[in-house]
Amino acid sequence: MSTAMNFGVKSFKPRAPDKGSFPLDHFGECRSFKENFMKCLRENSFDNSRCRLQSKEYLECRMDNQLMAKEPLEKLGFKDLMDPPIRINKTDRKPTKI
Amino acid sequence: MLLPPTLHCRRASPLLAGCVRTLHSGHPRALRPLAESLLRRRPPSRLEARFRSRRSQEEEWRNRNKTVLTYIAAAGVGMIGLSYAAVPLYRLYCQATGLGGTAVAGHDADQVETMKPVRERVIKVTFNADTHASIQWNFRPQQTEIYVVPGETALAFYRAKNPTDKPIIGISTYNVVPFDAGQYFNKIQCFCFEEQRLNPHEEVDMPVFFYIDPEFDDDPRMARVDTITLSYTFFEAKEGQQLPLPGYSYN
Repeated sequence: MSTAMNFGVKSFKPRAPDKGSFPLDHFGECRSFKENFMKCLRENSFDNSRCRLQSKEYLECRMDNQLMAKEPLEKLGFKDLMDPPIRINKTDRKPTKI
Repeated sequence: MLLPPTLHCRRASPLLAGCVRTLHSGHPRALRPLAESLLRRRPPSRLEARFRSRRSQEEEWRNRNKTVLTYIAAAGVGMIGLSYAAVPLYRLYCQATGLGGTAVAGHDADQVETMKPVRERVIKVTFNADTHASIQWNFRPQQTEIYVVPGETALAFYRAKNPTDKPIIGISTYNVVPFDAGQYFNKIQCFCFEEQRLNPHEEVDMPVFFYIDPEFDDDPRMARVDTITLSYTFFEAKEGQQLPLPGYSYN
């Protein structure tokens, strides 16, 4: 921890979280989503970028159970997961007339 | 004061010659005015000259002292003024260079929406959990590390269990190492700085939702930082104790 006797040395200054504190999930309502997320992390060698969908689902669960203030998910950085898939690989081939 | 003897004699000799001449002439009338003139003139010639030079020298010294004293007084006043001005100047300097841990990078809450992840820079965030000796919770992270990129929000979990038979209220604080990287580590929501109550034999998951500011990649001082460690410490909260929320006095 940062000590008080650092003369001229940088010390750490903790900052409050932007949206405050998460209320505790006493009843385990979102535990399954959490387990899902942890499983995804373990499978993907703890790469966060690949488990963003599961983290989004966990946060949605929290919001649904009044464990988190409801907010549009874009504000939480999930804008890329919100966009409906516009580009769909058209696999159906048009029959070519021979 | 001490005039050289030659000057002495030079001044004295024509007067002496004049005196001798009158004596030799023996004219009484001529003697009186000459004597008067001698009596009148003699002191001005030697002593007054000395006085004049001494006075001018004293004046010169006095003037010099005055200027020196003025300079010293000005320097003193300047030093006092500089010590007062140093406070805002130092603050500006710290803001510009980021020394002393002041926040340089923006902590704009709106940027979460618009920030773009920097895919090339992968950072490993390791988690650490500590408890104060007096609190009987079991507190540990649920993952030892997670790989994130700046500009992307990430979720991590800690777990706390109260193995005792009475409810315990805990309150936590956090620490980010390296300290310089701490200013880029923004928590959107976590479980710190607020009292968390755990009932007997209860176990809860505590999430931390955070992101690393994309400006992290632009900072040359962060070029060699690949690992950031987030460390939480839980303390037991005493009844009725109000902890001041950190950050409001600085921001």
